[in-house]
Amino acid sequence: MSEPAIVADSLTYRYGDLLAVDHISFTVERGEILGFLGPNGAGKSTTVKMLTGQLRPLSGRALLLGIDVSRHPKQVQARIGVCFEQPNLYEELSAADNLRLFARLFNVRDLDLTALLRRVGLDGRGNDLVSHYSKGMKQRLMIARALVNRPDILFLDEPTEGLDPTSAEAIRRVIREEQERGATIFLTTHDMYEADRLCHRVAFINSGRIVALDTPHNLKQQYGKRMVRAEVVGPDGSLLTREIILDQPETAAEMANLLQHEKVITLHSEEATLEDIFIQLTGRGLA
Amino acid sequence: MNIAALWALITKDARLYFANRLFALVTVLGLVAYIAIYFLLPATVDETLRLGMVIPELPPALAEALTDDAVQIERFTDATALRAAVASGEVTVGIAFPADLFDQLRQGSRPTVELFLAPEVPPDFVSVYEAAARELSFNLVGQELPVVISEEILGPDMAGAQIAPRQRMLPLFAVLVLMVECLGLASLIAAEVEQGTIRALLVTPLSLRGLFVAKTLFGSLFAFVQAVLLLAVTGGLVREPLLNLTALFIGSVLMTGTAFLIASLGRDLMSVMGWGMLALLIMALPTFTVLLPGLAADWVQFIPTHYLVDTIYRSLNFGAGWSEVGGNLLPLTASALLFLALGMAILQRRFV
Repeated sequence: MSEPAIVADSLTYRYGDLLAVDHISFTVERGEILGFLGPNGAGKSTTVKMLTGQLRPLSGRALLLGIDVSRHPKQVQARIGVCFEQPNLYEELSAADNLRLFARLFNVRDLDLTALLRRVGLDGRGNDLVSHYSKGMKQRLMIARALVNRPDILFLDEPTEGLDPTSAEAIRRVIREEQERGATIFLTTHDMYEADRLCHRVAFINSGRIVALDTPHNLKQQYGKRMVRAEVVGPDGSLLTREIILDQPETAAEMANLLQHEKVITLHSEEATLEDIFIQLTGRGLA
Repeated sequence: MNIAALWALITKDARLYFANRLFALVTVLGLVAYIAIYFLLPATVDETLRLGMVIPELPPALAEALTDDAVQIERFTDATALRAAVASGEVTVGIAFPADLFDQLRQGSRPTVELFLAPEVPPDFVSVYEAAARELSFNLVGQELPVVISEEILGPDMAGAQIAPRQRMLPLFAVLVLMVECLGLASLIAAEVEQGTIRALLVTPLSLRGLFVAKTLFGSLFAFVQAVLLLAVTGGLVREPLLNLTALFIGSVLMTGTAFLIASLGRDLMSVMGWGMLALLIMALPTFTVLLPGLAADWVQFIPTHYLVDTIYRSLNFGAGWSEVGGNLLPLTASALLFLALGMAILQRRFV
């Protein structure tokens, strides 16, 4: 069995008096997509900065592909791709020039610019100045830049935040393709729906600590409540909502009572969302 | 770091620099303007002293001065006419002896010699003309001075070869060229920090050292080439070219270090301009002591550009060579390296 792609061992970081990341540990297997969920200020970005060599941990260590990031950051950075939350492209240059610059920095000599731009849906727009791009186009270009060196590990920070559905779906498609290629994906996001769809496992981080780490399915099984939600006609003719928790001793009786005595308009089974589970675990939402 | 990456960073900075229309215009137009101003300024110096006199007879020494191009002496009939000539600007200085000078002397009274001065005569020169009037008086009455005056010219004898205004301004133009590029580079770096592109660069195999090497090369070479162009067009490389080129290059490195310092303080274009103007004012001060020698003060030697200005000014106008001004390169180099090191140390803290 190959060594994990990412090993975080008791990583800690402090900004002055604020303990931003508090001894977090986890591993990410090669080819896995790990979702890192948490509200603003939870420590997600600080964790990513330590993993990508931008910050030196106060204590603990991070191993990427078996290499200690603190000791050999440039060796690690040659094999990873990073897509930042905020666009940080050279707006006065064209998309193609931005990509060529980073190809040179990674010593990539055989960059197929056309193919890369086509992958992210920017074919034909390579010579346009980035300042003329929409937000969605800039985000796609950021993804393209992160793929220039065909990275073994891809760090994506809120890649679909604020994007239109077309752009967001284009990015998700690229993420799946990269995973199929064998890359490991470390995805930080607020979007529990996206994490649920894309990630093999998700980690919840709150106040610098990991409060849960498992597959979405297992988390829902462990923490979630399955229920049936019905809309019924009330005495005054208005629509009312009824909820029946499943897997309880009284479930069958409640279901029978509902169907016998209420005029049911709609009936849906539901399971807990990751946000519901996060709120249950931390007492706060993901936003 | 590989050369291809270094070259990619330098060309990227060059493109970004000229993508900023303000700096593109200021760079090109500034260079053209400095060269144009240089050639529009007089190439010679008119320091002719126009002296008006009301004097009973002309002493032999003064008669000899009439043949000197530097002094034009015009005799007037009376003090009223002389006063009017000074007031109208016809002459700069007027010395009027009373018509009855010898009669007054015979009678034992003290004659009054009137000294008329045009408003533009510097206050420091008034005592000089007073002394000249007293000497003329001695000459007229036939009394010899009780001391022997020996004349000694300190430094190169610039009589007939005074330094033209445009030559005095050349060091100022050179410093301005370097400072404009300094501001441009500082603005470029500040923008990269604010936009986060520096972070993107540093999450690649590019090291911090590599980044600073690229910035230093771009900033220094760009400024150096422009300064060399300025001196080449204005004939400033005819004398001691290697000395001046060396001084200019070190000066370019000094300005690059200054740019790093300004970028570490500035948060946006406005604040970069603000800090940059302050730096420009300080760095340009030594050039003003060349334009107006009376402004020279010892503390100017603490400003690093003093050694650049002094080298260029003295080598171009006094023929100073390595032995006379080569020593300037040591403090200039030390300052450049200090500014560079300090700028890098402070600036890198903004990169994370």
